Parts: sequence; C-alpha cells; structure tokens
Amino acid sequence: MESSPLSEPVLLILMSLAGQPRHGYSILKDVERMSNGRVVLSTGTLYGAIRRLLEDDWIERFEERETSRGRQAYRLTSHGRRNLQLEVDRMKHLTRLATLRAATKES
Amino acid sequence: MLNAYQLLLRLYPATYRAEFGEEMIAVFEGVRADCDRKSFAARAVFYFREIAGLVSGAFRENFHFRSNAPDVPFFPRRFTMRNEFRFPKSTPILMAIILAGVIIAIRKGEVIATSLPPFSQPVTPVHSAHSYLLPGVIEGFIFFPLAGLVGWVILFAMRRSGVHRLTDVASGSK
Repeated sequence: MESSPLSEPVLLILMSLAGQPRHGYSILKDVERMSNGRVVLSTGTLYGAIRRLLEDDWIERFEERETSRGRQAYRLTSHGRRNLQLEVDRMKHLTRLATLRAATKES
Repeated sequence: MLNAYQLLLRLYPATYRAEFGEEMIAVFEGVRADCDRKSFAARAVFYFREIAGLVSGAFRENFHFRSNAPDVPFFPRRFTMRNEFRFPKSTPILMAIILAGVIIAIRKGEVIATSLPPFSQPVTPVHSAHSYLLPGVIEGFIFFPLAGLVGWVILFAMRRSGVHRLTDVASGSK
C-alpha cells in the first residue's frame, strides 16, 4: 500500500494514541508536550481530525468504565497502527537519505 | 466565554454537535482552566486560536456534511496536506481591507440615500465635497490599517491552531 505523508498534527495525534487510549484533553496536552509547544491544537482542529480518523477507521472509541460523554477515550485501530508504521518507515528512509546526502556534500 | 463557545458550536451541523459537542466543551473547559493561570497575552492567543479553529472547522464540517466530499474544493490542500499549497500571507490582510472598503461604501451609500430629497423636489447638494473628503481620508487611514491588523491576527491564530497543516486521512492511503 502506497502512503502519502501525514501532516504533523495528525502524526502527533496518532503517536499520542499509539501508547495508550486517551481522551481529547489528554491528546491536546500530549501533542503539545511531544512537539515542545510548537504544535498547539484548538479543540475545533482536534475534533475535525478525530472525526476523519474515526470515519477512516484509523482510530476507534474506547469504552472506559464510568466515562462521561465529555471524557470519551480513543485508541488506534490495527489499520491506524499500520499506517502510522508506514509513516515512520517513510520518515526513517528520508532521514537516512538526508544524512547520506549531507555527508556526501561535506566530504 | 463558555457561552460564546457554545454559540459558535451552533455553526456546526447538528449531527456533528450531537456526536462531539459535549466532548469539545469539556476539553475547552479543561484547556481554559489551564490557560487562566497564564498571562493576558497567552489567554488572548488561546481565545483567538479557539475561535479560528471553531469557525474554520465549522466551515469544513458543513461542507463535508452537505456534499459528503472529503474536503473543501478550490483550496483543499491549504487545509489538508503537509506539502503545503500556500497563499501569500498578505491575502487575508488584503481580503480584510477589501471587506472594510465594502462595508464603508455600503454605510456611506445608506447615508447618501437617506439624505436625498424625494423625486418630486429638485436635487440640491446636501453638503460640500470638501467637508466630506477629509473625514473619509482620516477614516481610511485609521480603519484600513486596523482591518489589516485584524486580518493578521486571524492568520496568526489559524497558523497557531495547526488547522492549515491538517491532513485529510482519507487521502493518506491509496
């Protein structure tokens, strides 16, 4: 399967959900922490992405005990995890290539 | 502010609100509580980011809801892809200035229309051109830069919200 690059916010959301299920507030804070404060999502942007990720079956709702509607948790599906891995592989390839090219230029 | 947030949420389609509305409000309340401890500037950036994110999100969701298309035509890449079709930074500023010009023109048109005599009477000038020109120029020098500043703030808030970098995951795999 060929994969197009993901945007940084979507990649960060997927990375945030890769470790454990999270609810919206936790995702926002984790994205901000992972990007060292560079990517700060608004709630409108976050839930726009969540809606599309749900529709495309990259993430799913995670049933927690005693969860109110305001604290709905989400987790990666196997399809989402596979796509995240594809993106990581793509970035690894790019990094390796960039390192090689930079080294060639210097020498 | 919560009332304003709930009001802006009404811009979204009803089905979207039913699905995510309560969650969005809960998350907004959480982030706002964190933000209350920060400086005035940080709070202002937060509110601008939220408003810009909500308005642009509502636009996208309404389009998606009505057309079932994955994204808005004409500038889908602007909102979806990382390899970033960008319009110049000056565009929203110019748009704000043009909008301000249109609003001023409409207002002046209304003033002129109300001061015109009925058709049965002969037309006479209601004021001299000189007395009208100077306030107009001063208004332009104050109002247009202000409109430009507003445009810049909106652009800044949109960039901070990350909305311009969102990828439509539907196009993420082929």
